[in-house]
Amino acid sequence: MAAGTATRVYPFMPGGAADGTRLISGAVVLSDLTDKPRFGLKGGGSAAWLAAQGIPLPAVNRIGEHRGMRVLRLGNEDILLLAEGVEATLAEIKNGWQAAPAPKGYSSWREEGWAWMRLSGARLAEAMSSLCALDLRPQKFGADDIAQTRVGHIEAVTFRSPTGFDILFDITASAYFARAVAAVAGHADQHRG
Amino acid sequence: MKLLTCPMNGPRNIDEFQSFGPVRARPDPNATADRDWSRHLFRAENRKGIVIEWWRHVPSNYFFLAERDLVSNEVIRTFDVSELPERA
Repeated sequence: MAAGTATRVYPFMPGGAADGTRLISGAVVLSDLTDKPRFGLKGGGSAAWLAAQGIPLPAVNRIGEHRGMRVLRLGNEDILLLAEGVEATLAEIKNGWQAAPAPKGYSSWREEGWAWMRLSGARLAEAMSSLCALDLRPQKFGADDIAQTRVGHIEAVTFRSPTGFDILFDITASAYFARAVAAVAGHADQHRG
Repeated sequence: MKLLTCPMNGPRNIDEFQSFGPVRARPDPNATADRDWSRHLFRAENRKGIVIEWWRHVPSNYFFLAERDLVSNEVIRTFDVSELPERA
């Protein structure tokens, strides 16, 4: 790569650090959404700036919605916007933020630092109960709940998506996480007979 | 499994937390003798009683306080920094 050019290398792209790692599919499906648009703000002024843009902020550890984006409140001043399929809306907010004067928080670089994966499939509940110690049954963990906990022994943020669970975690653990999910799925298969 | 209740995230495996030691007054560097500085930096208290400690919930990077009995190791309560008496 020539000096001065910035190329985004996501974990499962050719040449990426986890190149060659297999994402399991079948009764448990793991898919990689790491290249999907998102934007995180953190630090003093983040919440006030987003609220001033008309973005309704949910309570801590809850998910809100704004123009097709999911608004994740990870802390009082730690907010993440997920814009799967609504990239233009997010770009508008990002441009506005870049042009705005402080205080406006700072970018938490979630689009660079975090991997975003989705776990689904017929044996989802079984796999998730092996990966995470929390009670994530629907009556305990709703569609707008966020759990900041451990999934597959690594620090992660997890919440429901229409097809399963989304998991956000340190991007450098991508290959490890894919292997951990595959191991759990394989283990469940073995014991099913 | 030992559980600790995070004021922000609820009850979690103790494995998700990191301890940062007791809340202590910071001595004034200009008015503290070397002997006292040395004690502050290198000596740990070893008393019986109740201590208020800093803890961090690692996955959410949330720092909070816990009141713990040093004899029974029972955590009496956990609370947000804003509730610390000297800061209120």
